[in-house]
Amino acid sequence: MPSFSAGLWENLSHDIHYIWPHILLMVAATLMLWPLDSWLMPWTKAEKHKWALPTLAILVATLGLTLATPNGLGFSAMYKVDGLTKGFQVLCILGSIFAVMLSQNVLGALQEHTVEYYVLILLGTSGMLFMCGAVDLVTVYFSIELMALCIYILVAYLRHQGRSIEAGMKYFLLGAFSSGILLYGISLLFAATGGVTTNLTELNQKLALVSADKNLLVYSGVLMVLVGLCFKVAAVPFHMWAPDAYDGAPTPITAWMATAPKAASLAVFLRVFDTGFHNLSYDWTAPLMVISAASMILGNVAAIRQQSIKRLLAYSSIAHVGYMLLGVLSKDAQAGAQAVWLYMLSYLVMNTGAFAVVIYLQGKGEGERIDDFRGMGKRHPLLAFAMLIFLLSLAGIPPLIGFFGKFYLFLLAVQQGFTTLVVIALLTSAVSAYYYLEVVKQMYFKEPATEDGAECEPMDPYAKWLITAACTLVIIGTAFGPQLLKWTDDIRWFEKEAPKAAVFELPGK
Amino acid sequence: MEQLLASLGQNLFVLFGLLAVGAAGVMIFTKSAVHSVIGFLFSMLCVAGCFLALQAEFLGVAQLLVYAGGIVVLFLFVVMLVELTKYQEKGIFQTQAKFAVPLVGAGVLAFAGVFRGILFGPNAGQALVLKLGLEGATEHLGNAQAVSRGLFADFLLPFEILSVILLVALIGAIVLAKSERV
Repeated sequence: MPSFSAGLWENLSHDIHYIWPHILLMVAATLMLWPLDSWLMPWTKAEKHKWALPTLAILVATLGLTLATPNGLGFSAMYKVDGLTKGFQVLCILGSIFAVMLSQNVLGALQEHTVEYYVLILLGTSGMLFMCGAVDLVTVYFSIELMALCIYILVAYLRHQGRSIEAGMKYFLLGAFSSGILLYGISLLFAATGGVTTNLTELNQKLALVSADKNLLVYSGVLMVLVGLCFKVAAVPFHMWAPDAYDGAPTPITAWMATAPKAASLAVFLRVFDTGFHNLSYDWTAPLMVISAASMILGNVAAIRQQSIKRLLAYSSIAHVGYMLLGVLSKDAQAGAQAVWLYMLSYLVMNTGAFAVVIYLQGKGEGERIDDFRGMGKRHPLLAFAMLIFLLSLAGIPPLIGFFGKFYLFLLAVQQGFTTLVVIALLTSAVSAYYYLEVVKQMYFKEPATEDGAECEPMDPYAKWLITAACTLVIIGTAFGPQLLKWTDDIRWFEKEAPKAAVFELPGK
Repeated sequence: MEQLLASLGQNLFVLFGLLAVGAAGVMIFTKSAVHSVIGFLFSMLCVAGCFLALQAEFLGVAQLLVYAGGIVVLFLFVVMLVELTKYQEKGIFQTQAKFAVPLVGAGVLAFAGVFRGILFGPNAGQALVLKLGLEGATEHLGNAQAVSRGLFADFLLPFEILSVILLVALIGAIVLAKSERV
């Protein structure tokens, strides 16, 4: 009979294969903090921006490791690798890669280059990877905290700007508050099942069997978990932090916040509600429907009045979350995960593209107000064309990739019987087309306010590549849009539970 | 006797729990920052009492040492260092009380409804019985051992994530507080 420590070691050596990507991220991030760069990378001594490239290399390596991770369940049934995990992990890593590519020149222009910025992106990414695979509410909670803490700091990163500090502070306070609600909900569910498990699969079985006098306890627990998670994806009415945080954060971080954490949080949503609370769908379907509809309506309507392109994209991201929650509502978890993943993929590409254009223009000394886009079609015809593609795709105008994302999602929702919600979604999509096209109108049909021809700034090579790549991806995705659903059909998003991890031997038995 | 002790434990738990909630209320509603910290300290002591009533001595003592011994002292230092009176005059504190108080009242009523069934229903007290160890642990296992099993066996992954969270907090404090960026 193996001793306790031998059992620990055996389990660890068995389970560690599932988290190599996370280990790479964490170890690399910690090493980057050591003042070893002048030894390890002597050729970069003169450069100030030397950290973007190593960070990119680490993220690409992580992407490779993630794809090579075997499927399975480990760490006392706390972490699972399956199609859902891998699919959303890829999205998170892609989002981080894009953010790092955009960061270089922005930080350089602001004289705010530090290694900690990249370290925090890497550690935040590792938190997101944990979120995607977490199958236990305790792991869910801690990985959300890891991700969120990195984002709080990065939002407040430009601490000489009042609005950055304000945004970071607001986000931190509301985020801490929402974490408290989430944790309280988890503890109520833990108590309702008799205080024995937080594992999602077991919770699903046990929650359906609780006695009648605990029904209220389960109901309030589920609702509080729902509220806590909705805070993280900024769904209405828990969206108050989003516009301020998006506006105050450094623009690359805004692009990152709008994509990667959303992908991770939606993975948690799918996992928690479609496996953990699947038998309780009666409890959460109606609230989630209301939240989804409110996000679509308020996000799109509030976006109309925005003057700043960052705030506009912030409100539009609230609306996009509303659409994606339709997939979480789906009773067919497999199809729901597939539709959400496709939507998130298209959203990731087109949203990052739009932010890259904004950052590129900022690098040229232009502002981020929508008025500043006036006459862009003449000054930067290619850039304006790329922005046109991104905006039309975000609006979901056929035949661009954003249309296919919306189409699959709405089709699924209609099949599942959420016709009212789909009608609301279609109407609000029409509203969203209005404000996206407003920007297009500014670009092509308005004369620039002043003609100073600020072409002196050096080009931002990363942003240029990224705009080109994103634009190409959107167009390629458009060409293959009808096949996308077929290709992702083969991915098994939810693996059937593997047998439970070994129970440890007790000492002295 | 045994029955009396068992019911005493349960009653102590409820008593300490109510005291902790009351102290937390003092912490939030008092106007002076020092009083807030004292309320926080008292609340943490009561939570330690809750742990002791559940026969989790190790957690109770750790709670006492870490919170009462460490964190509250830090809080007091910060309160003494920061001059809060000048903000008090500006009236930036407690400006939303007239919305907050009814909301909190409604929340308290809602949760009273939730817990009524637990505390006074047919299976009252069932939720208050401590389950020693989550998996396969037995009664004779010591308290500290049970905690360490939890940390290093069942909850190894969250424990490791937590250590990274602490690292991030450390980095964040430096990033936000460092005066010059190189």
